[in-house]
Amino acid sequence: MRAGIFICHCGHNIKHTVDVRYLSEYFKKIPGVVVSIDYAFVCSEPGQDIIKESIENQKLDRVVIASCTPSLHGDLFRDLLKKSGTNPFYLKRVSIREHCSWVGDDIEANTEKAKRLILSGLYAASHYIPLEEKMVEVNKSALVIGGGVSGLSAALFLARMGIKVYLIEREKELGGHVRLLNKVWPSMRNGKEIIRELIDEIERLDNVEIYTDTIITNFEGFFGNYQVTINNNGQERKFIVGGVVVATGFTPFDPSIKPELHYKKDKRIVTTLDLEKGIEYLELPKKPRVAILHCIGSRDETIGRSYCSRICCINSLKTAEEIKQRYPDSFVESFYMDVRAHPRGGEEYFESLQEKGVLFTRGNVAEIIPTDKNIIIRGEDTLLGEVYEKEFDLVVLSIGMSTAFDSRALGQLLKISLDKDGFFLEAHIKLRPFDTAVKGIFIAGSCSGPKDTEESINHGRASALKLFGMLNLGYAFVEPFISYVDPKRCSGCRQCEEACIAKAIKFDEKLRVVKVEEAACMGCGLCNATCPSSAISLKGYFDSFIADEISGLLEIA
Amino acid sequence: MQDEAASRVLVCIQCGKCTGGCPESGRTPFNIRMLVRKKQFSYTIDESIPWYCTACNACTIRCPRDVKPSEVVIDIRSTLVENGDIPLAIQKALENTFVQKNPWGKPRSKRGEWAGKLNFKVPHISETEHKRLLFLCCVHAYDPRCMVIPVNVATLLHRAGYEFGILGEEECCCGNEIRRIGELGLFEELMEENKTNFKEYGVKEIIALSPHCMNTMKNEYGDTGIKVMHYTEVLSGLIKEGALKPHKPFEKEIIYHDPCFLGKQNKIFEEPRDILKSINNTNLKEFSRSKEISLCCEGGGGRMFFEVETHYKRNSETRVEEAQSKGVEIITTACPFCVMTLEEKAVEKGLAVKELSEILMEVI
Repeated sequence: MRAGIFICHCGHNIKHTVDVRYLSEYFKKIPGVVVSIDYAFVCSEPGQDIIKESIENQKLDRVVIASCTPSLHGDLFRDLLKKSGTNPFYLKRVSIREHCSWVGDDIEANTEKAKRLILSGLYAASHYIPLEEKMVEVNKSALVIGGGVSGLSAALFLARMGIKVYLIEREKELGGHVRLLNKVWPSMRNGKEIIRELIDEIERLDNVEIYTDTIITNFEGFFGNYQVTINNNGQERKFIVGGVVVATGFTPFDPSIKPELHYKKDKRIVTTLDLEKGIEYLELPKKPRVAILHCIGSRDETIGRSYCSRICCINSLKTAEEIKQRYPDSFVESFYMDVRAHPRGGEEYFESLQEKGVLFTRGNVAEIIPTDKNIIIRGEDTLLGEVYEKEFDLVVLSIGMSTAFDSRALGQLLKISLDKDGFFLEAHIKLRPFDTAVKGIFIAGSCSGPKDTEESINHGRASALKLFGMLNLGYAFVEPFISYVDPKRCSGCRQCEEACIAKAIKFDEKLRVVKVEEAACMGCGLCNATCPSSAISLKGYFDSFIADEISGLLEIA
Repeated sequence: MQDEAASRVLVCIQCGKCTGGCPESGRTPFNIRMLVRKKQFSYTIDESIPWYCTACNACTIRCPRDVKPSEVVIDIRSTLVENGDIPLAIQKALENTFVQKNPWGKPRSKRGEWAGKLNFKVPHISETEHKRLLFLCCVHAYDPRCMVIPVNVATLLHRAGYEFGILGEEECCCGNEIRRIGELGLFEELMEENKTNFKEYGVKEIIALSPHCMNTMKNEYGDTGIKVMHYTEVLSGLIKEGALKPHKPFEKEIIYHDPCFLGKQNKIFEEPRDILKSINNTNLKEFSRSKEISLCCEGGGGRMFFEVETHYKRNSETRVEEAQSKGVEIITTACPFCVMTLEEKAVEKGLAVKELSEILMEVI
């Protein structure tokens, strides 16, 4: 073994509580270690150069990098080994930042801990064998879940790039919530028209299959080869897709769960979404007094929705404008906590409505009290510190976005995670905002958090673009950590066969032992843990490796 | 609980949801939002201000940031209690509770006297089979106006063949108001004494006559393993089962006032209404502010024991006026404090206030 140890300072992150210089000197004395270096930023270009040169000049066959958590920069260092001409699976990452330097301030204790962690990593690495990534073919087809504005945008992009698209929608009609909007800010175009345009374009292409009234019932496989089963209006269908765009949207918040608002108990209390049907049906007087309440179903921990829904301030302003247009002599008062007119042009829109005479009162309305004559709103003008009771003819609740009701179930089916609010979680909020943790599954639109129409369209296109990039290669590498059976130890009890979720284990009737179908194995390790005779191991993770790794941690230096 | 409340002060966004629903803010010098803001910055708070709070809990229930403003009030009060900067009447009530285990300082030995008005004998809890305890509020035990309530409820339960027992003079103040006044040490002492009794006699269920006692025993006594109910829950169940039959008509226009500790704090809205609806010929009306947005009568949070300094229109008067405008003859409720506060104003305007059990006694 010719091992190289590279200890990262991570600026001050590691260096300030771990004696990195001592460690690099210490490991120079360990047998088998050819290079031991500490450096400011191992992940930087000069840092990578040092590793590359060491591998090439010293003919290293094991590389131990002690730095941040292995999930960060994992691909980067593996590629570096590949470029330097050594097998990428000779790499061992040791976390001395998250698991060590960030935990405590005691330099002596941290240095000792880091030493043991690195030693244990070195022991593990000593067992490593060269592995080859398996190349698999990728189906140039995609599943788009959800036919709202985001899903339609994603489907259209993929289809135009020549990808076969299966677009499925739970409802009977495509178009999601945008279809219900009378006017979409800022263009003030009709939502139905926007949707119609998208659908017309999609229908002109012959590589899109659209299924409405459809849900997914089964989902298996891996990137490039996902097997999907759908239920289309009672009929089952199966197809294979390379990747997925999840665009399941949101559910409008139902204010009736907040009893003090009296929604659904009085027809003079409506939501912004109700008003998209028009104002005429409300039979308002000629000079109506209208109250608009912001933040209904947003920024409210009592109902588990601590987030800002981002769209409702603009919706409130839009409602005020509608009313002012239809009833020029109306009195419109908007009750807000903060006016967050985020998007470009939002602040100017807010100002234009103030100019039109819409009044804004700061304070979260406490109670809505319907009486025979009118509706009383009780709250505090927090800028004046005065409690008021004001009378109105109509109360409009500017509702926020809740998660789609079945997102938890869908998340389980696709094995993708949700955040604390129930929206689908991106792989990295800044660096991978469209990806999920599962390869080839992307998220788009408001299923990953509140978004307006424009953002949803962009998000859909961006996810489609990223998926296209992966599908268009035509091939993918599968990690080589797959199961391996030692036929001498296998007793043929077949417990692993039951445990395997990928259905990769088959029983050989003749030899009375199990075999692993390498193409199907996901490398999850369930069979390893199940096997009573320790006959199955994951390539690269044999029991003896782990025992040695532990002994490295426990060794008295 | 105190520390928790204090730490949540920092996350307040001053949205005013608390103030708008507060029964005191806007009419008195009290403003719950501003109190939280002052606490956020550790500004000086005038020592008369925290005593307006009636502990109705609307602020804490609705606060979108879970600041628990009503706990902030308790926090401020507890500092005042510790320093002795408290109204004399409050001080008296605390001393009384310490000595006689009731805020009015009536002799503890007379706590069980009400049972003498019954024409049957109520067993001590230790002599019962089901270990169901009828728990009285101090006001039931000593106040001549409210003493009729335990007598009525005991009679009704007895008629329904529902077994229960009492603690008699061993019973002590539940501490609900004491905790809200800010005397947490005394609250814990009272709670321990009650819990020791419950444990000793193997109490399995508690039928609380006052929503205030029910609230603290249900939500603040910790995990006692005892099922705590308000008496309206038990009686509405007995009526549904047919064990109690309100057969006489009660031809009156009545309106039900939701007590804060029963309604908005513990979500018991329907049981009292179910009882009233089971009575023949009764026309039950509703206040415009009912159920979750019921207007507090201002009897809670220690307000039964002293008067605030400022003169202003009482909520009970607002309540009575609305009842009057709706052509109501009788205001009914299921909390002794609400009975006391509402009756004072109702009598002036020629309306009657009857506790729910009083109406039931007339029809069964």
